[in-house]
Amino acid sequence: MAKEVVIEVNNLTKYFPVTRGLFRQKKIADIKAVDGVSFAIHDGETLGLVGESGCGKTTLGKCMLQLYRATSGEVFFEGKDLCQLSDRELQPLRQRLQVIFQDPYDSLNPRFTARDIIGEPLIIHNIARGKEYRERVAELLNLVGLAPYMADRYPHEFSGGQRQRLGVARALALQPRFIMCDEPLSALDVSIQAQIVNLLADLQEKFGVAYLFISHDLSVVRHISDRVAVMYLGKIAEISNRDEIYKNPLHPYTQALLSAVPIPDPEVEMKRQIIVLQGEVPSPMSPPSGCVFHPRCYRAFADCSNVTPLLEDVGDGHHVACLLYEQSRP
Amino acid sequence: MTALLEVRNLKTYFNTQDGVVKAVDGVSYDVNRGETIALVGESGCGKTVSALSILRLVAEPAGKIESGEILFEGTDLLKLSGDEMRKMRGAKISIIFQEPLTSLNPVLTIGRQISEGLEFHKNMSLKEGMQEATRLLKLVGIPHPERRIYDYPHQFSGGMRQRAMIAIAIACQPQLIIADEPTTVVDVTIQAQLLELIRNITKELNTALILITHNLGIVARYARRVFVMYAGNIIEHGNALDVYRYPCHPYTAGLLTSVPRLDEPRKTRLLPIDGQPPDLIAPPIGCSFQARCAYSMPQCQREKPPLLEVAPNHYAACWVSQKEQRPWQKKSS
Ligand SMILES: Nc1ncnc2c1ncn2[C@@H]1O[C@H](COP(=O)(O)OP(=O)(O)O)[C@@H](O)[C@H]1O
Ligand SMILES: Nc1ncnc2c1ncn2[C@@H]1O[C@H](COP(=O)(O)OP(=O)(O)O)[C@@H](O)[C@H]1O
Ligand code: SF4
Ligand code: SF4
Ligand SMILES: [Mg+2]
Ligand SMILES: [Mg+2]
Repeated sequence: MAKEVVIEVNNLTKYFPVTRGLFRQKKIADIKAVDGVSFAIHDGETLGLVGESGCGKTTLGKCMLQLYRATSGEVFFEGKDLCQLSDRELQPLRQRLQVIFQDPYDSLNPRFTARDIIGEPLIIHNIARGKEYRERVAELLNLVGLAPYMADRYPHEFSGGQRQRLGVARALALQPRFIMCDEPLSALDVSIQAQIVNLLADLQEKFGVAYLFISHDLSVVRHISDRVAVMYLGKIAEISNRDEIYKNPLHPYTQALLSAVPIPDPEVEMKRQIIVLQGEVPSPMSPPSGCVFHPRCYRAFADCSNVTPLLEDVGDGHHVACLLYEQSRP
Repeated sequence: MTALLEVRNLKTYFNTQDGVVKAVDGVSYDVNRGETIALVGESGCGKTVSALSILRLVAEPAGKIESGEILFEGTDLLKLSGDEMRKMRGAKISIIFQEPLTSLNPVLTIGRQISEGLEFHKNMSLKEGMQEATRLLKLVGIPHPERRIYDYPHQFSGGMRQRAMIAIAIACQPQLIIADEPTTVVDVTIQAQLLELIRNITKELNTALILITHNLGIVARYARRVFVMYAGNIIEHGNALDVYRYPCHPYTAGLLTSVPRLDEPRKTRLLPIDGQPPDLIAPPIGCSFQARCAYSMPQCQREKPPLLEVAPNHYAACWVSQKEQRPWQKKSS
């Protein structure tokens, strides 16, 4: 099942400069939002991306789609390094790289009808007009479980779940190969979340589209992902295939994240001890020395504040960046 | 033993341009001293309005408590004067909101906001109030409290603001705290910190807690009894253990199967509840869940099912549940 790589990220960094001074702006520091990230996503595959807010998940996704230009590194898509392309050169590729955002309400233009919203990409890219256009929109509405007669409604006339369906339809309009889903369920109720999760799975099955699925809900991520990456302060802490990482989480951060998720079963929860991670994510402007996780790590030892762990394969593609598992340091 | 709080047949409606929104439509529940109960349900089902009604903070004139009783230590809060009610809020009953940034005052220091209630309810001087504020911030786990009491809310992170809200809520050692989705906007790690903190504090002070949430995991971990709301009504309640193991309303059963569980083998497919909740302006005749229910029968469209005891201490508002076996329950092994 050697599937083709759709999109590959190599040593990607994104620093946001922090400046001071009104007239002559002086750079005083960098926010290292993404700091040396590498991975690949294959056709029809879902890579789940988890980590606390502020860890750089959105920035990473936006850099992949060239919504942000990376500070350094490469993003390969269809044989080209997107980071090297001009906006004009990117334009034709954008069709096949799409995004679904968290709050469908914020990302949909309130003065557009559902038809305008879904159809806009078809117009921009000169794909369809007239009758064909209307048919294609109706088809897309159907595909995401909305009725074609809803095409003339405005976003506020839809419920939250329906709006997210609109977002999905819009992303699908141009038959993308890759969709970045940035917390697409966060604004939805659980019963509706399940509807959208199933919809995304069906569409993947049907069209073989690959997803980067960013979420803070580790149970949903397990459900939807083939592989999972855990991010902390701009770096990948651990990445592996789904079953392995959930059965055998190695990084103390992954272990803590998993432990913090309450199980919807009182019998289980009455007995379960949890790891309560202390403190909060530090500022990426001045990340901690050594292992960036060390001030919060319940397994930290002396070396952790001096030595930066490398993301290493501990077997079968299970990569972890933690000194507890490092063997090959020279 | 009489309950600390007894809500009886509460109805809170809103007058809007489109008609009357029956946000809370005949809700009853009770909370014992020192006990944690959960109110759970999807957005718009009336959780917040029912909480605000207890404190009589429903936005008037659009919102109005139409009828019902809210007995707190035997006194009907709905019969108190404005002044008497002010003496209750913060002193005997306090509330923690979802988004502390909008409920904290942006132009007052955190210390002052904690001190305010102590000055009003406990006759403390400003100096005493600030001293107590420092102690409380320390208690809720804020480092350097002696300095941070002089900070403004925007200088706190989201998690820290919520800790400050907890400090305000417990300042006067109330008998009841209402926590309305206290962790919905924070990460799971911070959620765990805050909920463990709330649990430890309420245990230590023997404070009763109404935990409002849409998260079934949180209910399972922190509440002994649970009340499930749907479209302005409580449709099922009982001990969490019973409700989770033998849900007696198809909606509760549906919620439980919609969420994937980390402790179980991964399912290939989630089982969502189809459709969406009804419009509270024109709710259907009969059962409010009928449009989404796989077990609906003709009676469900004609008559609204009453909330009845279907097993010991376990109540459900569902015709099928009251008459027959419940086909949605997992076959007991
Ligand atoms: N446009 C921006 N300018 C400056 N800093 C930013 C910008 N976008 C994100 N950041 C910072 O980068 C870090 C990562 O943010 P983000 O990618 O949004 O994280 P996540 O999606 O994991 O919550 C944060 O510290 C955030 O404040
Ligand atoms: N100020 C208001 N005016 C009109 N309708 C309101 C107002 N506040 C709440 N509602 C309506 O009351 C219902 C219940 O709302 P709420 O209690 O906030 O739900 P929940 O907290 O369960 O998400 C919703 O349908 C909501 O739209
Ligand atoms: S390297 Fe040290 S501080 Fe970092 S995760 Fe491993 S044990 Fe913890
Ligand atoms: S009363 Fe009827 S429609 Fe309502 S939940 Fe029960 S079976 Fe379903
Ligand atoms: Mg983000
Ligand atoms: Mg609410």
